[in-house]
Amino acid sequence: MLTEIQEGKAFDSVVKHITQEKINLYAEASGDFNPIHIDESFAAKTPLGGTIAHGMLSLAYVSEMMTSAFGRNWLSEGKLRAKFKEPAHPGDTLTINGKIDCIEQEDDVSYANCSFECRNQKGEMIVTGETIVKFSSDKK
Amino acid sequence: MPDRAISYEELTPGYKFPPTTYELSDSFVSKYLKAVDSEGDGFVPPLAITACTIAATTKSIPLPPDTIAIHASQELEFFKMVPIGATIECYIGVLQKITRGKMSMLILELEVFDKGKEKVQSGRATIALPT
Repeated sequence: MLTEIQEGKAFDSVVKHITQEKINLYAEASGDFNPIHIDESFAAKTPLGGTIAHGMLSLAYVSEMMTSAFGRNWLSEGKLRAKFKEPAHPGDTLTINGKIDCIEQEDDVSYANCSFECRNQKGEMIVTGETIVKFSSDKK
Repeated sequence: MPDRAISYEELTPGYKFPPTTYELSDSFVSKYLKAVDSEGDGFVPPLAITACTIAATTKSIPLPPDTIAIHASQELEFFKMVPIGATIECYIGVLQKITRGKMSMLILELEVFDKGKEKVQSGRATIALPT
């Protein structure tokens, strides 16, 4: 958890390697068996050229970063807005970075407005977005 | 359950899919945590709940032939933490349907409630359907 919540504070990065095995595990856990994720011969014939990770798998890594930074404040009252820019493929290594852009105060409650990005090993943007986390002002 | 009776053309703004119910069992959470390569903290990760909702959504959309569904964007708001073993009910509705050339976009509204009818999370998902 962050010891000090202040503007400009960067979160600890999360780095994850995508494999077809992880994608298959995610499909099994979530029940999302869309063939674009799990059927290599089907996916090879699409414009994507092969299987891709579920967008929600990449977003789970973003949530992991936010949970490490804000703990239960994120889990119980977080807000997120994400755009999936490019698909993540098996073999990709994703790095998720984020920071607090600004802090807004409303009565006794503060809101950390954060931004994040998830890039692959080539530096290509996979997911980008913003989050908002409510916290009590005494943590500031 | 997936609503196979409706066709893609009939999916219009205001359409509500039949609600889906999930039991967030210990085995489900363990599988999810293994898949996302993460450690648990005794509660259901909120994105695991969203994963169920998105899976229900993609299963429910009656896709035109030879179409793939791509998750283009996601908005989420969490309202409460959910203990392992809880049962949730997911409600999905069509907010907007946009067709531009060979691209179709469905904007869906998602709401998840627990057994006590308290809202757990809500959000919007944009699904792109290149035809």
